[in-house]
Amino acid sequence: MKTLATPLGLAGLGSRSRTERSDAQFFHRRVGGIALCVFVGYYLGAKVGFALTFRPHPVSVLWPPNAILLAALLLTPVRVWWVILLAAFPAHLAAQLQSNVPPTMIFCWFISNSLEALMGAGCVRYLIDRPVRFDRLGNVGIFVFFAAFLAPFLSSFVDAAFVALNQWGQDSYWQVWRVRFTSNVLAALTLVPLIVTWSADGIGWLGKIRRARFVEAALLLVGLLSVNTIVFYKLGPTADSALLCLPLPFLIWAAVRFGSRGASAAICTFTFLAIWSAGHGYGPFSTRSAEENALSIQMFLIVMSVPLLLLAAVIEERSKGATTLREREERISLAAESANLAFWSINFERKESWMSDKGRAIFNFGPDEPLSRELFLSRVHPEDRNTVDEAIERARPESQTFEIEYRLLRPDGDIRWLISRGRYGHDDRGGVSELIGVAIDITAQVKADLELRLQREEMARMSRVSSMGELTASLAHELNQPLTAIASNVAAGRRFLAQRSPDLAMFKELLDDVAADARRAGDIIHGIHHFVRKSEGVRRAVNLNEIIREVLRLLHSDLLGRGTAIETQLAPSLPSVDANAVQLQQVLLNLLMNSLEAMQATPAAKRRVVISTTCEANSSVTVGVRDYGSGLPKEDLDKVFTHFYSTKPNGMGMGLTVVRSIIEAHGGKLRAENVDVGARFFFTLPVTRKSETREVA
Amino acid sequence: MSKTKKLVCVVDDDQSVRRGLGRLFKSAGYTAETFASAEDYLAREIFEGPICLVLDVRMPGVNGPDLQEVLESRGACEQIVFITGHADVPTCTKAMKNGAVDFLLKPFDDGELIEAVKRALERGEEQLRKRRGRREARGLINKLTPREFDVFRFVILGLLNKQIAAELHTAEKTIKVHRGRVMQKLRVTSVPDLVRISQRAGVAPGRNPG
Repeated sequence: MKTLATPLGLAGLGSRSRTERSDAQFFHRRVGGIALCVFVGYYLGAKVGFALTFRPHPVSVLWPPNAILLAALLLTPVRVWWVILLAAFPAHLAAQLQSNVPPTMIFCWFISNSLEALMGAGCVRYLIDRPVRFDRLGNVGIFVFFAAFLAPFLSSFVDAAFVALNQWGQDSYWQVWRVRFTSNVLAALTLVPLIVTWSADGIGWLGKIRRARFVEAALLLVGLLSVNTIVFYKLGPTADSALLCLPLPFLIWAAVRFGSRGASAAICTFTFLAIWSAGHGYGPFSTRSAEENALSIQMFLIVMSVPLLLLAAVIEERSKGATTLREREERISLAAESANLAFWSINFERKESWMSDKGRAIFNFGPDEPLSRELFLSRVHPEDRNTVDEAIERARPESQTFEIEYRLLRPDGDIRWLISRGRYGHDDRGGVSELIGVAIDITAQVKADLELRLQREEMARMSRVSSMGELTASLAHELNQPLTAIASNVAAGRRFLAQRSPDLAMFKELLDDVAADARRAGDIIHGIHHFVRKSEGVRRAVNLNEIIREVLRLLHSDLLGRGTAIETQLAPSLPSVDANAVQLQQVLLNLLMNSLEAMQATPAAKRRVVISTTCEANSSVTVGVRDYGSGLPKEDLDKVFTHFYSTKPNGMGMGLTVVRSIIEAHGGKLRAENVDVGARFFFTLPVTRKSETREVA
Repeated sequence: MSKTKKLVCVVDDDQSVRRGLGRLFKSAGYTAETFASAEDYLAREIFEGPICLVLDVRMPGVNGPDLQEVLESRGACEQIVFITGHADVPTCTKAMKNGAVDFLLKPFDDGELIEAVKRALERGEEQLRKRRGRREARGLINKLTPREFDVFRFVILGLLNKQIAAELHTAEKTIKVHRGRVMQKLRVTSVPDLVRISQRAGVAPGRNPG
């Protein structure tokens, strides 16, 4: 049977997936082989069928040719079916001519047999959209019902009609129908699974099997053969009919351990032994008339084989499912490990919990520690605990997925960043049954991001601060020249005075120079306006709230370092002002730094800066920066903005001057006041007017 | 004031500063000249006496440190006091390493500046004196014949006439004559005086390596 099966099986495998080109190749190369196999198989099958006849009853207990035809059709593409039928016909003719059957009858039988095979194969191929195998419960069910039962059932009507029309034999229509039907059902159940399962995958798999399996298969065969021999051959016809169940354990063994291949082979062996023994007058099926014996052995074998085939399919399906599941689990755990993933599930009904090893390592749970929401929350950073708890709680009523980013505070003080996704599972009654989820350790990314952001902000801050510093350095240099000249002149004057006869003309000149330099120094200071304008870029409509947020981002690390709380009270819809964004950033930066420095003596817990924006009558915007420091000295309140006034030991007294210059250049006003605790600086800028294209600077 | 003529030169691009400083140095009794740029100063004829340069660091064109290098390569004896409105450590360090007398930050105390200038002039005077001594000594030594010069160098090494004669492959008598002429030409009467002249002129004792 194997020689027949292999080429057919390979063809069957590719019937759906191959391209047209390989189909054509298949057609040319294999078609001859297939035809030969079908011819030989059909002919031998007929011979076996004749051998399995209970004399003197002329009808075979098991008629293999139809089953072989059906198996060949199941294994080959539909387009070569005509070749198979064409090959079967001469075999049919050759076999039947030997038994003195009239040619018309032979031809009619061939028609009914072909009809049966085509019907069965057609239904099965139509309903199973893939190569036909017996490894799924559904497939076996379809095969048993349509190919093994329905096709013989229907075709037997045709067959019996042909017999009646040809007036062949003495049996009645229904007798012919019944005999053909059972015989074909048994043949289909016994032979088709055997041929299909053993030929479909070739013989390559045999080489991969462990020796233990061969030993087991051999033991099974020996057991099955001996039990069958005892039951069907050695036992007398009067033996207890319950003994017929003896082979059953071996058949089940075959089905459970060797799947559909084992089951089909065992059923086949079992069937042939039983029929052969009965046909030779041995065993329990030899007691009555040949016809009755045939019927009862057919019924017995059909009833035995169907559940076995189904059982084998179930077993194979389960084991395949288990393999797939294991592979999937392995893939998932590999992915989990490489992606720092933690999988977990908590089943509330079974009070079970599971977490992947990686997850336990991340959360620092013991290997067998039972999981719970409380335990999980205890690991979450205290500051994030409420947020996480709420997010999980929100996801509880619907089975929607929650996603939370939070920190873990591990017992060793290590902080890790995680993203968790999870979902509540609900049972049939709508109650919560389980909580499943996955957590990703993103600490490395978060740290890298944070570092990058800090770096970027530090750079931006430095450039702002240094542009301010450059401005003041340049101012300082400019001022140094007249100051040096004045100092030199004054010193020279003093020395001349100490001498006997001071030259009065030269003295007058000297004093003129001093006065000129003093004026020049004054001009430079007034020229700060000029400086500000010189460094001024393009003005555009800006939102002060945005500028404040940006400056706070720039100052973020400074504020953290100083432990100062920053509070913003920003007006929700602020009209824009026409300004140079960079200069306004410098203004805010300066005021903020000022506030921070004013609170150096303030205890860290009370350090606070409140930044506010308000809008007055849609005509101007006021920005306030309020600190909780020592406040401004009362007597100096009006001096704060005068040049070179500084209460700071290293202050140049330039910061606030520049700030005021910028604000005034923007058409605004800068003021300062003492509040109950600390000081408040605020500036007002006019809002952008649509008609005004650009404020003249 | 000492008899030698001294000069203070101010180089600064700012006119007010130049005038103020010029007046200050005059009030302190110095002769002062002012220049608006390094180029202007370099155009001035070389002054023979001690000279102190009060030099601004930041100037358009050739700046203070650049001028210092130019003067160094010219082999002049200007002593430099830097003044600047904007000091940075690398510039200051470099200037001091290159021999600046002081580095002052504008605006400075007048006493401090006068003091620095005084020190600079003293240093300049000292250097000039050394230079003059060397020139005199070299002038005398240049009058010696090559043979006498050889003898002179062995004498200051402390060799006896006999040893010198052996070195120069000649008679002791000849050496004695040469030695007498050397003493005469260099206007000295003792070997220690000869050694002093050689030191002032920077002549090394011993055999001519060539």
